[in-house]
Amino acid sequence: MNPSKSSQPSAPVVIARGLSKSYPRGSVTVAALRNASFEVGPSEFVAIVGPSGSGKSTLLNLLGCMDAPTSGTLQLDGQDVSQLADSGRTRLRRDRLGFVFQHFGLVPTLSVAENVALPAFFARRSDPKRVDELLERVGLSSRRHHRPHELSGGEMQRAAIARALMNRPILLLADEPTGNLDSQTGSSILELFRELNADGLTLIVVTHNPSLASAAGRRLEIQDGVLISSTPGSPPKPHGPR
Amino acid sequence: MNLSWHQLAWKETRRRPMRAGITLTGIAVAVAALASLLSFQRGYRRGLGLELDRLGAHVLVVPKGCPFDAASIALHGANWPCYLRGAYLDEVRSIPGVATAAPALMGAFPKSDGTQTVVVGATEDLLALKPGWRIEGRFPTATNEVLLGADVARKLARKTGDSAMFEDLPGPRRIAGVLEPTGGADDGFVFLPLATAQRDLRHEETLTHILVRLRDPGQLDDAVNRLRGCNAGMDMNIVPLTHLFRTIQGMMGATQVWMACVAFVALLAAGAGVSNAVLMAVVERTREIGVLRALGASPGDVFRLFWMESLVLCTAGAVTGLLVAAAASHWVESWLRERLPFSPTDTLVRLEPGVALLCLGSALTLGSLAGFLPAWRASRLSPREAIRAPSGT
Repeated sequence: MNPSKSSQPSAPVVIARGLSKSYPRGSVTVAALRNASFEVGPSEFVAIVGPSGSGKSTLLNLLGCMDAPTSGTLQLDGQDVSQLADSGRTRLRRDRLGFVFQHFGLVPTLSVAENVALPAFFARRSDPKRVDELLERVGLSSRRHHRPHELSGGEMQRAAIARALMNRPILLLADEPTGNLDSQTGSSILELFRELNADGLTLIVVTHNPSLASAAGRRLEIQDGVLISSTPGSPPKPHGPR
Repeated sequence: MNLSWHQLAWKETRRRPMRAGITLTGIAVAVAALASLLSFQRGYRRGLGLELDRLGAHVLVVPKGCPFDAASIALHGANWPCYLRGAYLDEVRSIPGVATAAPALMGAFPKSDGTQTVVVGATEDLLALKPGWRIEGRFPTATNEVLLGADVARKLARKTGDSAMFEDLPGPRRIAGVLEPTGGADDGFVFLPLATAQRDLRHEETLTHILVRLRDPGQLDDAVNRLRGCNAGMDMNIVPLTHLFRTIQGMMGATQVWMACVAFVALLAAGAGVSNAVLMAVVERTREIGVLRALGASPGDVFRLFWMESLVLCTAGAVTGLLVAAAASHWVESWLRERLPFSPTDTLVRLEPGVALLCLGSALTLGSLAGFLPAWRASRLSPREAIRAPSGT
C-alpha cells in the first residue's frame, strides 16, 4: 500500500531536529512547540498525545507543511522542508501527504466519489480507477454517488480517509480522527488505520483516544510545547474511543 | 469521474440556493433591462431609417404646424388637421434641384373595430419615389380604380381585377393593382387617383402633403432654403427628412441615455450583490478552504474556484436575463409604443445575436470584477488559520 517515493526505503520518513514554533499573541510571543527532535520510520504508526493546548496540533501542522517552523529543521522523505516557500509546501501536501480531520472536511456539494477525486484534481490528474479502488478499500462503493449529508459519521470519515490516500501519500496525518465518532464507529476507523499501516503506510495520529494511542506502535507525548517522551504503544485498553 | 472548475463552481450554487437565486435574479434583471434597452435603441434607429427610406423623399412639404406630427401622419396615415393649396405644387416643382414632387391627399376613416381605412390620393409621380414597390397590376388612373396595400388586399380577400366596395367611398371600385408587402405603413393604405380622392374626401384643389425628391441629395440645404423662400413658403412647413431623422434620434437619445444610466446602475448593483454573495461564501467556507489547501490546492486554485463561482453566477444570470428579455420583447414593445410620440411600424424590440453577445460579455466582465476581491481574499488565507475556523455550513 505504501507508495513511498524514497530511493532509500529504510530511511526515516520524518526527521525533526530542534523543531520550534512561536506565535505572536498581542505583544507577547507564545512558544507553542519547543526544540522537538524525533524520527518516524517507514511504516511506523505514531500517536501524538498530550493535554489540550500542549502543542500537538502545532506539531501536526508543521509535519503537514501547513506552517513553517520558527527554528529547527524538518525533513520529509529525505527533503528539507523547513525553509520551503508556500508553493513548495503546497506541492508537498498535494503529492506526498494525506490529511484526515476530526470534522471530516468533506465538501458538502460534491458526491463521495468527487470528494475522493479532489486531491488528484488539484494535481491536474484524473484517475477514476484509483477512486473506485479506494472506495472499495474503505467499503463505500455503494455510496459513491451519495453526498456527505447522506452518510453516517463513520462513512464520512472513511470517505475522508479514501480522499487522503488518493495521491498515494508517503505519510498520513490524522488530527483526532475518532473525535466525532461513537466508540463502535471509532473502533472501525482504528481498524482501518491498522490495516493501512499493515499495508506499509506511515501514520501519525494526534489523539486523546487511549485506544487509538495504544494501537499505535509508538507514542510521542507532548506537554507545554515540549516533547517529553517517546514510548512504544501498549495493547488497547477496554474502554472505547472518544 | 472528471471534475472541472466550472462544475465545482456550479455545484456550489446548490449550497445556498436561496442566496444564489436572489443574486442570479439581480443579474438577470439588470441584463434583461440592458438587452431590452440596446435592442430598442437599435430597433428604433433601424425602424426610423427604414420608414423614411420607404417614404422615398428627401423633403416633406406639409401644412404649417408641428413637423413631427405631420411626419408621423404622413408615415402612418391619419386625418390631417389642415391642408395645403393644390397650387403650391407648381411652385415646389419650379424650385431648381427638385427632381420629383409627388402630391398627396390623405384621409382616414375609423372603423368600429378600432382600425381605420387610410385613403391616399396620389399621382403616378409617387412611383418615382417608391423604387422598392412591386405592383401586381398597375397604378390606378381611372376615377373608379384603386391600388390596394398588401394587408388591405389580404383582409378584403381581393386581387387585381376584382371589384370592391369601401364603406366610406361612394360606389364600387375596380382594383387596378395590389402592392406586394413592403413591411411599412403602405401595406395598410388604399391608393386612389389624386383627383378622385379630392372629390371623395370633399377637399377639391387641396393636398395634405408633397413628397419631394431632389436631383442631388447633397444639395439638400440649398433646396430647403429655396423652398422656404418661395412665395408659398410662408404657408408651408419644409421638413428635410434627414434632419427630422437626426432630431427624432436626438430627442430619443436623451431618454435612452437616462435609461442606459438606470441599466448601468442596475448592473453595478447586481455586481455588488455577486461580490457580497461570494464574500459571504468565503467567510462561511473558511474552514473548507483550509481543508482544500491541506489537500494540495494552491492559492491560485482557491482563487480560481471562487472567481469561477462569480463567473458562473453572472453567466447563469445573464442567460436567464436574455431569455426573459427575448420572451418579454413583445410586451416591452407594446408598452413603449403606447408611450412614444412617434414610433416606426417596424419591430422596435428584437433581441439580436450581437446584443445578446454584448450583454453576455458585460455580465462576464462584471463577474470577473465582482469575483476578484472575494477570490483574492480566499486565496490569501493561511491554511493553518483557515482550518481552525468554525464551520459555516
